Amino acid sequence: MIKFLSNAWSNFKEYVILCLLVILSLILLSQNQNQKVQKVRAIAFGSFSTVSSVFSNLFNTARITEENEELRKANAELMMQISKLREYGITNEQLRGLVGLKDSSSLPLIPATVVSKSLSLTQHTITLNAGLKDSVKPGMPVINYSGMIGIVHSSSDDFSIVRTLKNVDLKLTVKNERSRIHGIMKWDGEEFIIVNIPKTFDFEIGDRIITSELSSIVPVPLPVGLVQEIDDVETEVFKRVKVKPFVDLLSVENLFIVGIVNSTQKQNLELNFYR
Amino acid sequence: MNWRHLIPLIIFFPLLLLQVTIIPLISIESIVPDLLLIAVVYSSILYGQIYGTVLGSVYGILFDLIAGSLLGSSMLSKTVAGFIAGYYSSETKREKYLNSYSFTFVVFLCALSDTAIYSFFSSWDFNINLFRILFNYSLLPSIYTTVLSSIVIIIPYKKSFN
Repeated sequence: MIKFLSNAWSNFKEYVILCLLVILSLILLSQNQNQKVQKVRAIAFGSFSTVSSVFSNLFNTARITEENEELRKANAELMMQISKLREYGITNEQLRGLVGLKDSSSLPLIPATVVSKSLSLTQHTITLNAGLKDSVKPGMPVINYSGMIGIVHSSSDDFSIVRTLKNVDLKLTVKNERSRIHGIMKWDGEEFIIVNIPKTFDFEIGDRIITSELSSIVPVPLPVGLVQEIDDVETEVFKRVKVKPFVDLLSVENLFIVGIVNSTQKQNLELNFYR
Repeated sequence: MNWRHLIPLIIFFPLLLLQVTIIPLISIESIVPDLLLIAVVYSSILYGQIYGTVLGSVYGILFDLIAGSLLGSSMLSKTVAGFIAGYYSSETKREKYLNSYSFTFVVFLCALSDTAIYSFFSSWDFNINLFRILFNYSLLPSIYTTVLSSIVIIIPYKKSFN
């Protein structure tokens, strides 16, 4: 028996080792949501990001000039919008006071910089130099001056990993700002698509898409993109709405984390209602 | 096992640093070459199939932990890639595959399997055409990795030989 095992090992050891490692990989694939695994991941990327942030700062310098030009232009446009919105804000305040509505508070923004990127066509993630010490928590939305970038997936003390919109695991509840129709937007590896939109629903090219207040992960309206194309196949019940995002996800460097976390009271209420 | 077997483990972190900071700068439509895979293939041919398989799994799991991707996906794909590269490792074939353009063929083969397995776990969507997945997520990154492998391995070797 021992001789048999010994012969088998000497003839097939490469295959045995391969099988063992493949089984281990499959076990790890099933443990992705395990809390201990998440902790180990947070320690690992936190430690590595400390070093990569130093190098990324060197390369960020080259892009600062270009980004400054873009920001100046955006500032000028925003300045004109702000002066118009001031007038609307004053009128809004007066009307709210009249009807006694509760005032919505402004959202806290935590600034951060990208220290590394994991470019994959389907699992695009970025690492930021802001973490638990900066009050960043998993589930917080990430934005820049153009619009929505992604959602914080996990955080260590000083760094966070963000799943960007170009990640097949991130599905966002969005709505058409004009027609107020809600839908689920996802990345299919090539383009952003709002799926399962009935043909009778009103979507037009150029419509602005924002995050929906119905979303369990982003309950505030954040700009996402513009409707670029609508696939209306005659033999199908639904149409496919293709969206072009406002943000160029490949070139983001400086961004903000919106410091909101969903109210547990609201979530518990909804969970109890649907039981 | 001598101290030379530890070199691939030591160079993992500098390679990963390059992969996440500099390599995105040379991406083409989000397609990037994979430096870690080139290192796995090179080490596998140099030190043998078992070494390559284990090194692939170590590289894969560390990459999954640090980059934030699905834990186990890269480990599985790089383990298989290291195993395949090991077929081209033997006393007689080593010199031929390491120091000629045949190395790029091995890299292409391993990159194809690596990206195919990795994208299989990433793109679990039956609405997407399977051939489209293989072309976009597997073939194009493999070609880019192969081109880079010839630049970083073969050309410097041939220049120093001349």
